[in-house]
Amino acid sequence: MKLAWLRSLETAHQDCVWACTWLPPTDKSSGLLLTGSLDETVKLWNPEDLSLVRTNTGHCLGVVSVAAHPSGRIAASASLDSFIRVFDVESNNTIATLEAPPSEVWQMQFDPRGTTLAVAGGSSASVKLWDTAEWKLVSTLSIPRPEGAKPSDKGNSKKFVLSVAWSPSGRQLACGSMDGSISVFDVQRAKFLHQLEGHTMPVRSLAYSPLDPRVLVSGSDDECIHMYDAEGKTLFSSMSGHSSWVLSVDVSPDGAAIASGSSDRTVRLWDPKMRAAVQTMTNHTDQVWGVKFEAVGGGARGSLLASVSDDKSISLYNYS
Amino acid sequence: MACVYIPVQNSEEEVRVALDQLPRDATDILDILKAEQAPLDLWLIIAREYFKQGKIEQFRQILEEGSSPEIDEYYADVRYERIAILNALGAYYSYLGKIETKQREKEEHFILATQYYNKASRIDMHEPSTWIGKGQLLLAKGDVDQAFAAFKIVLDGDRDNIPALLGQACVEFNRGKYSSSLEMYKRVLQVYPGCPAAVRLGIGLCRYKLGQFDRAKQAFERVLQLDPENVEALVALGIMDLQSNEAYGIRGAMEKMRRAFDIYPYCATALNYLANHFFFTGQHFLVEQLTETALAATTHGSTRAHSYYNLARSYHSKGDYEKAGLYYMASVKEINKPQEFILPFYGLGQVQLKLGDFKSSLSNFEKVLEVYPENCETLKAVAHIYLQLNQTTKAHEALKKATRIDPRDPEAFLDLGELLIATDSGAALDAFKTARNLLKKANEEVSIELLNNIGVLHFERGEFELALQTFKEALGDGIWLKLMDTEPQSDSIGDPIRNTLYQPIDSSLAARKYKDMQLFHNLEKDGISVDLPWDKITTLSNLARLFEQLHKTETASLLYRLILFKFPEYVDAYLRLAAIAKSRNNVPLSIELIHDALQVDDKNPDALCMLGDLELKNDDWLKAKDTFRAAKDASNGKDSYATLCLGNWNYFAAVRSEKRAPKLEATHLEKAKELYTKVLIEHPANMYAANGAGVVLAEKGQFDIAKELFTQVQEAASGSVFVQMPDVWINLAHVHFAQGNFSLAIKMYQNCLRKFYYNTDSQILLYLARTHYEAEQWQDCKKTLLKAIHLAPSNYTLRFDTGVALQKFSASTLQKTKRTVDEVRATVAELKNAVRVFSLLSAASNLQFHGFDEKKIETHVGYCKHLLEAAKVHCDAAELEDQQNRHRLELARQAAIREEESRLAEEQKKVKLEKRKQEDELKKVMQQEQHLERIKEHWKSSGSKRKDRGQSGDEEGGQGERRRRKGSSKKRKRDKKTETHMDDQDEYDDDNANTNYYEPENQVNNQVNNDEDDPQDLLAAAGLEDSDADDDPGAPSAGRRIRGWSESEEDEPEKRPPNSSPVRDNSVDMQLSDGD
Repeated sequence: MKLAWLRSLETAHQDCVWACTWLPPTDKSSGLLLTGSLDETVKLWNPEDLSLVRTNTGHCLGVVSVAAHPSGRIAASASLDSFIRVFDVESNNTIATLEAPPSEVWQMQFDPRGTTLAVAGGSSASVKLWDTAEWKLVSTLSIPRPEGAKPSDKGNSKKFVLSVAWSPSGRQLACGSMDGSISVFDVQRAKFLHQLEGHTMPVRSLAYSPLDPRVLVSGSDDECIHMYDAEGKTLFSSMSGHSSWVLSVDVSPDGAAIASGSSDRTVRLWDPKMRAAVQTMTNHTDQVWGVKFEAVGGGARGSLLASVSDDKSISLYNYS
Repeated sequence: MACVYIPVQNSEEEVRVALDQLPRDATDILDILKAEQAPLDLWLIIAREYFKQGKIEQFRQILEEGSSPEIDEYYADVRYERIAILNALGAYYSYLGKIETKQREKEEHFILATQYYNKASRIDMHEPSTWIGKGQLLLAKGDVDQAFAAFKIVLDGDRDNIPALLGQACVEFNRGKYSSSLEMYKRVLQVYPGCPAAVRLGIGLCRYKLGQFDRAKQAFERVLQLDPENVEALVALGIMDLQSNEAYGIRGAMEKMRRAFDIYPYCATALNYLANHFFFTGQHFLVEQLTETALAATTHGSTRAHSYYNLARSYHSKGDYEKAGLYYMASVKEINKPQEFILPFYGLGQVQLKLGDFKSSLSNFEKVLEVYPENCETLKAVAHIYLQLNQTTKAHEALKKATRIDPRDPEAFLDLGELLIATDSGAALDAFKTARNLLKKANEEVSIELLNNIGVLHFERGEFELALQTFKEALGDGIWLKLMDTEPQSDSIGDPIRNTLYQPIDSSLAARKYKDMQLFHNLEKDGISVDLPWDKITTLSNLARLFEQLHKTETASLLYRLILFKFPEYVDAYLRLAAIAKSRNNVPLSIELIHDALQVDDKNPDALCMLGDLELKNDDWLKAKDTFRAAKDASNGKDSYATLCLGNWNYFAAVRSEKRAPKLEATHLEKAKELYTKVLIEHPANMYAANGAGVVLAEKGQFDIAKELFTQVQEAASGSVFVQMPDVWINLAHVHFAQGNFSLAIKMYQNCLRKFYYNTDSQILLYLARTHYEAEQWQDCKKTLLKAIHLAPSNYTLRFDTGVALQKFSASTLQKTKRTVDEVRATVAELKNAVRVFSLLSAASNLQFHGFDEKKIETHVGYCKHLLEAAKVHCDAAELEDQQNRHRLELARQAAIREEESRLAEEQKKVKLEKRKQEDELKKVMQQEQHLERIKEHWKSSGSKRKDRGQSGDEEGGQGERRRRKGSSKKRKRDKKTETHMDDQDEYDDDNANTNYYEPENQVNNQVNNDEDDPQDLLAAAGLEDSDADDDPGAPSAGRRIRGWSESEEDEPEKRPPNSSPVRDNSVDMQLSDGD
């Protein structure tokens, strides 16, 4: 289990890079890396040499989130102005512009089958589900108000939703909130299942293990990475070591490792069995907002990991 | 059978007297002697016989009768015999005087003896035996020189006179002229080979003194051959055996001493040596008996000194320092020159040191050093005293010398290290390391305290890996290894501890895991013993602190909990756990943990301060104040941290007072200043107090002095991993900002963000944005605000500010007389963004979750719509720009005017509506106004009157008295080991802990927002149509934002108690109670 640095691109964007994801390969193109930045652009990169494939404009204010459809043909990007732009990867034609005021848009993710786009809805304390055929809002999964809360209480502001993740089966969905709680929903029944506690500060990133649908990994401003049993409501382990906020987590395609990006400017690789970081990459010089494994591993040659940072750069590593 | 025959007068007959059958009553014999007018030599023979038989009374009776005036008359022509009788009496009284211990009787005897000798001299002043007697008498009286003269007279007449030779030898011996003494003894032996054994004793002693030990030994052995009961020879041989310094020799020596004691129980020297022996075998009762006997038996100064010394030492080792001191003193009094016998001086020094009489102790140790200038033990003791007397330079010198003299003495290096900790941690570390290496080389155990110290120093210097290794070495093997070893272990799967440790826990309990002890109960249930020796607590706690520093928080919390599991009284562990919980924003748990700590010690100032801080965080102002007061009282006002907290409280109270009351504000500020000053007087190097003082100064508009103060604090704060003072950077930036020095302020904010916060603090980003705003760097301002939103997504104030910034940018661009098409397009785009931001805010207001007044938001919506219209106009204008430049300009102007008007209208309405919800903001705004006035006055009149204090407060900031050395008085070497380690980090942290502050989160206010709401703006804008009036509240108001404290300090050690020794004591107690 190790990371090998492959290449980096300084000044990939004009400003902080805040989001990244991998576009699955299609019959026309191999897998591409998609990044979003404070400079209001979304860029597509060829991972082979980190050459720029295209720059998408059209967003105002910073791009906070990008999502790739499992087909690899469609992608979505969202910015601080709460607009989601859904576009055709190949042509860059806008397929849809989504907004659900007053809900903001933070993290987004397509479900594994590609029928639904889940969007973390910030202050609405809910996850918005968009149908990808009609591009209509089909469901709002709201976090229930805590018991005993008076209706006059100011909203559910502590439950401000920042992050979202689909279970590999697509049946479950988890979202992380400002107060550190993680809410788990049954999507088909549109039902809130339970809350996972343990973090005490905003949960900015969530990821299910691709192999074990029970295992949910979370990263929080409290500097910890937690591994939960999302169904059994138990905390497997809590891993500390980052010296600042954990901004992004992802589980490797083989399910054996966790990658994390942090405000402490490092990318770390964790061995969940040992509950310890096995490797620390220090090539970034500012907060690392995104780490993402390429979903389809390349077999023996391992799979790619991308990281993006406030230092405007993108880095690629080989995970094996 | 020996007989004497007394001739019967006028006849041929004789009376036969058998010497062994002398009558008990001497009168019978005297009658015969007198009646028959017996020759005087017969008198003497009979008297001597009585003496030999121990019948002293009879002996004296006969001799006194024999020297009576009638005898003198009757035997006037018999000179020699009369002299002999007188001399015998003189010798008798000399002897009595010599052995008498009571001074008065002694002198009476000597006077009698002198009288007899003088009488003898009157009969014949040339009689040698009289001179010899006189010489002996003088010797007994200690009058060596006169004795020499007396013996010389005899020897001048007859150089082989044996008694005179012996006497003279004795004189020479006493004068220290051993070789000439030896010559005399030898001559005696030549002249009279059959002389008594005692002569050879003299030879032995001379040779001994001359350093010819083998020959001395031969002599003593010869004495014993001749006289097996010769006590002196036995003692002398014993001493020589002792000096051989071999176990065998020592046993033999004690055997000889014991024999001497059996033969003659009053030989002081033997008694002393025996006492010495029993001292080492620990039989103090015997020591006291023997030495008391010895003291009773001798008047000889140095022997008595030894006896007193033995006695003192015995009490000393029993811990009775008062008595020991008295006897050492007595011993010292018996000594003429310290060179003769230095030990009691050393002992006295030790006891005085123990009793805290440093000055006397020092003078005694210095006496030792005069004799032995290179004695390391003494040097160390002296160094210790200097340290107690605060003369660190001298202490340093002494220790340096000690380490130079004996570079292999780990003790000296240990002491040196401890001394240097306060001033030079690098050198201290070197000294400690040397000590460790020396101990290792000698295969001695390296104490856990030493390793702990080394670890702490590494820790302090930021050498975490080395610190970790050292702490691990100090702790050795134990359950903690399993708890902390996060390194991959091959057998980890089957390991029961790991299994227990890795038990999944219910997520609803996860947030409370810092209180979870179940883990250890489970381990014990599984049959794994959870052990923690009490002497390892401190180091373990330091190690946990190190893990915290390394952000291995989980491990740290496990170790703290382990400590608490075994020692629930260890307050620091609660406090550290509370600090961890707090840094994770888990305030309720943190408070709970502090309450746990307070249950152990409800007066713990650290716990109280932390509690107060958390109460501030919860916006519990009055409660917080009470808590801080309690903390201050609990430490008798000596805890500068508590004082500082109160100072901070007052400052915050001044800045945020609920009702706008300038008087109250001034009172609070004044009080804050007073408290800071108080701390600074006590600890001139306290950076936090200096920072606080700077804040108050800045608050009063004295920016230059404040800046100077902050700069110095900033310099001082760099250096230690335990001192993190981002506040001072922020304050400095605020001052630059207030003085209009925007670029410097921006740099300072950015550096602070990067250096202390990993760029994650949205509040500082807000300060930064505000500075960009004032500097009219609109793009930077916008980007900064966007970054802040990204970091703090639920902070709607930031969005509002972004909207304002965008709109401000557009307005200012549109007002420009010359502008390019691109500029206008960008302006329109930004206006659209602003509209978007405001309308989103408006939409969100339905959900009521950002705390803005609903109506206020509605007014904003309305305003935004106006903006939107204006924007449309601008859009059209931009399209026309290329052809109709002038026309477009006009339109733009109109748009700007309209925009201003509408905005004003909106704002006025808003101000009214807002009043309830936005009272805080309003108050601030008004305060700012007042500030402006006040500051303006200050600008005019501000002199440098506060300058002095500012400087004094900061000058020594660099080093600080962060560490105070906890004195444990130095005893002898072996005691010291257990006492003088500076045993943990506490001492370093001590003052750090004292100097932590926290900023209540709620201090956050929407600064940029203020501009929007500033009534001053309204007035200005109403008068002038220039929208730039917005800028007015600028510079001076920044003082308002200066903040004195930082959250980042929270995880700084508000921990351990200042004193290490109580910790240990507690631990012992705990262990005992555990045992129950």
